[in-house]
Amino acid sequence: MTVHARSDERANGEWLDQLSVDSAEMVSRAMKSVVVVHNGRRGAGAGVIWDDRGTVITNAHVVARGRLHVRTQEGTEGEARIAAINPDLDLAALRWSGEGVPLPRGDAHRLRAGEWVYALGNPWGVIGAATGGVVIGMGADLPEMPVRGREWLALGLHLRPGHSGGAVIDSAGRLVGINTMMTGPEVGVAIPIHIVEAFAREARI
Amino acid sequence: MLEDLSKATAEAVERGGKSLVRVEGRRRLPASGIVWSEDGLIVTANHVVERDEEIGIGLPDGDQAEAAMVGRDPSTDLAVLRVSGKRLQSPEWVEEGSARVGHLVLALGRPGARPLATLGVISALGDAWRTPAGGAIDRFFQTDVVMYPGFSGGPLIDAGGRTLGLNTSGLARGLSLTVPATTIRRTVEMLVTHGRMRRGYLGVGAQTVRLPESAARGQETGLMLASVESGSPADRAGLVLGDVLLRLDGVALERMESLLNALTPERVGKKVSVDVLRGGQPKTLEVEIGERSHDGPRPE
Repeated sequence: MTVHARSDERANGEWLDQLSVDSAEMVSRAMKSVVVVHNGRRGAGAGVIWDDRGTVITNAHVVARGRLHVRTQEGTEGEARIAAINPDLDLAALRWSGEGVPLPRGDAHRLRAGEWVYALGNPWGVIGAATGGVVIGMGADLPEMPVRGREWLALGLHLRPGHSGGAVIDSAGRLVGINTMMTGPEVGVAIPIHIVEAFAREARI
Repeated sequence: MLEDLSKATAEAVERGGKSLVRVEGRRRLPASGIVWSEDGLIVTANHVVERDEEIGIGLPDGDQAEAAMVGRDPSTDLAVLRVSGKRLQSPEWVEEGSARVGHLVLALGRPGARPLATLGVISALGDAWRTPAGGAIDRFFQTDVVMYPGFSGGPLIDAGGRTLGLNTSGLARGLSLTVPATTIRRTVEMLVTHGRMRRGYLGVGAQTVRLPESAARGQETGLMLASVESGSPADRAGLVLGDVLLRLDGVALERMESLLNALTPERVGKKVSVDVLRGGQPKTLEVEIGERSHDGPRPE
């Protein structure tokens, strides 16, 4: 950050202001591609608009039971059906009649520890919420992950019920993962984007 | 601008990661350590090194080394290890005293191959304190970084990637505490020289008493001797039951804690002055500070 070199306090204040505005704009842009997934039972999960053909990616545990219903942040709603599901990976692809703009995709392999990320979803039923933090690490050798030997994205941010299936975006607003769970109150775990892409490829989505 | 910020914190991690090693010294998950000197010294948290032999070190370049135990200080939760014949890069340390509450900081760890990081701010800075095990920490230094599994022994770095201290979850339950560089330096020097922490020893039992106004001179309390161990440094110096200790080597002794703090490793074996009140009269004696044996009597 070259701006750090400035010693003028006013300039520093403006810089922080601008950072905050950038952050809010990026989150609000990305949020348009994050949907609410109702399964007819308790609460709601989240999902991510994957392409322009009506595919929504979410967690398998979000859609395990019940009639599925998808709603965008703007309020477009519709029934959805499961097009593919893999409980091992905790991933599901839904098809619905609505439309939306998919998120640009990033590269989780290139994420470095310390990079800023946001998790978008509906924690405790609060629709369209964002939480921010930094990447703790990405890889198959992280401690305390749900399944050993598989790549995960560990994040220093607060995932809560309702974040599941939502988007993890990098500082440029690109999709780098799908929220899946937390390990402890302050560490979020996400499925890296390349695993989601492989799942979608295999399911011919 | 957000991308610049993201890039900058990731680069800080990369910079700090060049001096961050993996320490394999316990059955469960490996922990972390910091290169102290490029000739092979590594400092880590004592509680993560459960054995004294077959300690593995994972280097930043992916190389693996075996480390020898130089010494441990459970009281400050520090341990010093040595590897030989490897290329090591010591970190850039932040100038002492420049840390402020609210500064952005990152905790780093390397339980696996690559550096991991959590972000937070400096929560609290305070005076020197003594750990429950009796170790002297030069500054109370608390952050809100998440101590991810395997982070103990790793560095706390600032936004520029410079190192502020060593993080450990072993000093206080539930707090993210950082051992400052001054404390690490003193401990490393002591462990390299003696293989263990030396503690000063006087051989007395005492209790805090209020001083008569005539003797006060700005000091409200002193330490009245309730016991003097026979043959101890205090005994050899001529201290007797009922003496009220006022100062040791010029350091005011207002509470038992001040005496513990004054019995520093540096004073072991030195002859220092001890000011006392005996029968209400000030008197100065000379005492040669002894060394407390490891499982010997309490330090006072």
